[in-house]
Amino acid sequence: MANARALDKRRKSIKNIRKITRTMELIATARFKQAMDRASAATAYTNRVTGLVANLANTGMQLSHPLLESRDNPRTSLQLVLTSNRGLCGGYNGNVLRMASDNQQQLSDEYPTSLLEVSGKRGVTYFENRQTALAEAFLQFEDKPKYEEVERIADRYLDAYATGIIDRLDVCYTKFSSIARQEATVETLLPLGTLVDDPSDLATGSEGQGEIEFLPSAESILQEVVPMSFKVKLFKCFLDAAVSEQVARMVAMKSATENADELIRELSMTYNRARQGQITGELLEVMGGVEALKN
Amino acid sequence: MAANHLEEGVDVTSGARVLECVVVTPEETTLQTPAQFIALPLFDGEIGIAPGRAPMIGRLGFGEMRIREGNHVYRYYVDGGFVEVSGNLVSILTQRAIAAEHLDQAEIETALAAAQKKPANTPELLAIRERAVAQARGQQWVTRSLG
Repeated sequence: MANARALDKRRKSIKNIRKITRTMELIATARFKQAMDRASAATAYTNRVTGLVANLANTGMQLSHPLLESRDNPRTSLQLVLTSNRGLCGGYNGNVLRMASDNQQQLSDEYPTSLLEVSGKRGVTYFENRQTALAEAFLQFEDKPKYEEVERIADRYLDAYATGIIDRLDVCYTKFSSIARQEATVETLLPLGTLVDDPSDLATGSEGQGEIEFLPSAESILQEVVPMSFKVKLFKCFLDAAVSEQVARMVAMKSATENADELIRELSMTYNRARQGQITGELLEVMGGVEALKN
Repeated sequence: MAANHLEEGVDVTSGARVLECVVVTPEETTLQTPAQFIALPLFDGEIGIAPGRAPMIGRLGFGEMRIREGNHVYRYYVDGGFVEVSGNLVSILTQRAIAAEHLDQAEIETALAAAQKKPANTPELLAIRERAVAQARGQQWVTRSLG
């Protein structure tokens, strides 16, 4: 039978760990809600942009723009990987990094030069350990990515794409579909391909309003709408990654807390048994002693 | 969507026609207010929007947006984007909307100087530079009219 004191010590340390995981779970829950609100604000914006594109499309204009078309002779690709700065979030980083490595392999087969940029400490150390050179690393994105910061990155990509420094941009991140479902995905953001993900959205543009006036012209608006929707898409990737990270941490910490509960219950039982055994042993010794004195 | 005292774009209390103005950025809905008049920097000059404006979509430039509601005037710097007028609803989609009093003169000066130093030896680089300069000048303009 194990030593009762050692068991008690173990039980105490597990209780402390449980406290920590429980707190982390609560923090992740609160952060998740905030991140979720921000993501839905961005969605409202995206919807309005989609409505605008729908109005443009309804004019019968050809939606073409340099950012929408792929290039004939691509030379350089760039992959941006979004991971978290902190660990203890289950398979979140592992899933993204596995996907990113596969995609990077593919890109380097297809393109003479393939660059890699990573956001998040976890991703940076992962690629450092594999001796993969990073073109750029970002550590400033936590649970609330700022649009301003993302925009700076987006502008750099747009400039690089316009001047022909890069010919393709992939973003590898965790897409948030619902609270129970987040998936690591790779999305090609440049060239954009299409302005609207779901063609049925186009039909829902404001109809029956009569003629809409375009100032200065529909073409000019298209010129602006394309880079804008790229930026918003990239921002959405960062937001999705942030939301998914919090969900992943929430789930991981929840199961850690449950596991700790289980361990505490088992240990308590063993401890009680050990203690009882010890007491019984001591009693027997006392009684044995008394018997011996009697004789 | 419309404020409580608005009905079909008409202010119930005074009977005057009112616009419903929504300013949205990717991060948040910055401002949602009824308005009597809105002045916006379009891509090629300023536009004024009063109630009863025909439906339109306009491309915004970089500059000062003024929204008049009663005696109060909201003043913002808007950083490109679009304005969409349909009926009485005016939606302004912009990447950034900064209240005029939150702009920092010194920061703008350095941004302008940095923008002017950018290379401009190809058409693409020139376009990039011009955009950065226009942004800084737009902010400068808003702070000037503040002082």
